[in-house]
Amino acid sequence: MITTVTLNPAIDREYFVETNDPGEHQYIYEDADIKISPGGKGLLSAINLKNMGYPDVQNIGFVGGKQGLFFEKMVQDNNVTTNYVYTTNEIRNNIFVIGKEPVTYTHYNDYTYRVEERDVDELIKRYKRGIVDSEYVMISGSIPEGLEFDIYKRLIDIADERDKTVYLHASGEALNQALEAEPKFVVPYFKHTDKILDEEIKTMDDYIKAGRKLQEAGAEYVMIPFHCDRLVFSKDEVYSISAKDFCLLNWLGAGEAYNAAFFDYILNNEFDFVEANRYAGAAALVIAEKRDIFIHEQEEIEDMLDKIKVERVE
Amino acid sequence: MHLVKDYMMRTLNSVCTTDDVEDVIRLMHKTEMSVLPVVDWENNFLGTIYSKNILKNVLPEQYGFLETRRLLHEVNQAAENLADIKTRDVTDYMSRRKLTVREDDKMNNVADIMLDNEESYLFVVNEEEKLRGYISRADLLFYLLEVGEE
Repeated sequence: MITTVTLNPAIDREYFVETNDPGEHQYIYEDADIKISPGGKGLLSAINLKNMGYPDVQNIGFVGGKQGLFFEKMVQDNNVTTNYVYTTNEIRNNIFVIGKEPVTYTHYNDYTYRVEERDVDELIKRYKRGIVDSEYVMISGSIPEGLEFDIYKRLIDIADERDKTVYLHASGEALNQALEAEPKFVVPYFKHTDKILDEEIKTMDDYIKAGRKLQEAGAEYVMIPFHCDRLVFSKDEVYSISAKDFCLLNWLGAGEAYNAAFFDYILNNEFDFVEANRYAGAAALVIAEKRDIFIHEQEEIEDMLDKIKVERVE
Repeated sequence: MHLVKDYMMRTLNSVCTTDDVEDVIRLMHKTEMSVLPVVDWENNFLGTIYSKNILKNVLPEQYGFLETRRLLHEVNQAAENLADIKTRDVTDYMSRRKLTVREDDKMNNVADIMLDNEESYLFVVNEEEKLRGYISRADLLFYLLEVGEE
């Protein structure tokens, strides 16, 4: 069983219109112009892993209200095992309106979801018994209102007590506090703040400093997105993982494919941090070059490996 | 060949032996399930808890057969009874009968077990008896519909 954790999932609703005219009625007649899907970083990685052929992949987290039942059904359609704490408050809905002519992209990001203390207690109980069969746990994404910033630290401590390895993809204060629990793998995300550990990052030097600081704070291995590349920090060295000769069509889902492929590599090979990142980089490239947000088989990744360049930076 | 894994709901939504009756009722209400799987801290399937079993323990025997003026009293009595037992452990009200199927079992077997035992849900476990999900009567009917169409 592979466990992924998504504490702040959302129903993603994409509406495609000819021209996005605010203030006007807009009519959508084609099914293809409305896309509704379950969202959440950990969940998307779980779907990728399931597509790669892993029989047991679960997603643990909160879902809310009546829409939570709908969300769970959508997840079930992807054959991912659900392990959800149902909250009274309704799950988030992220709305995307995509205009075709001219091309526009409007995103209404819903931050209204809130969980209660009782929900958190239930989540901890579910998580404790949910991870018993998992060697690796991926904790990924933002946290909803009502959770303390130490939630990821708590989850990592629990995993650690049970001898499980944690891969953390987080940001902000939840990430800062989680480092105390010394997760093995850390991928910070920071697009919305441009900060890692409260420090602004702009130059390559800033990124390298941030990576080293994450390691000093507790992470054993760090992978930082660096524009279209990745800087990966092993115990003593820093490498750049980049793609050559590619055509960027889509970046949505690339990070989640990266995380899933990293798991796929370490589950099937002797542990090699750099090679696992090369493979993960190839998976992200698969997504970048197509409109779909999911990997469907390992062969797609293997076909891209030649395009991935690994260089030692430090 | 039609297998359980093609029709099952993959979910670990469950209660633990140490949860109390109130936890069970809240989860049943939110997930719209009238029966829940009971597991231990290692996620091993131990049995089931039915809403009807909890109800049986809180409703006065004559409930539903009373004249209207007595009904309010009986409802209050049931609410009081529930308040008394809501902190009791799941173990006090669960059934330890373990009717389970595996993901690779044939759907024909599910039909037999479900009909022979009048169960509305059968829980799916792996070879180590760990919970993996469930299959419902509606799933069974849908399977039969598909077989008919074939």
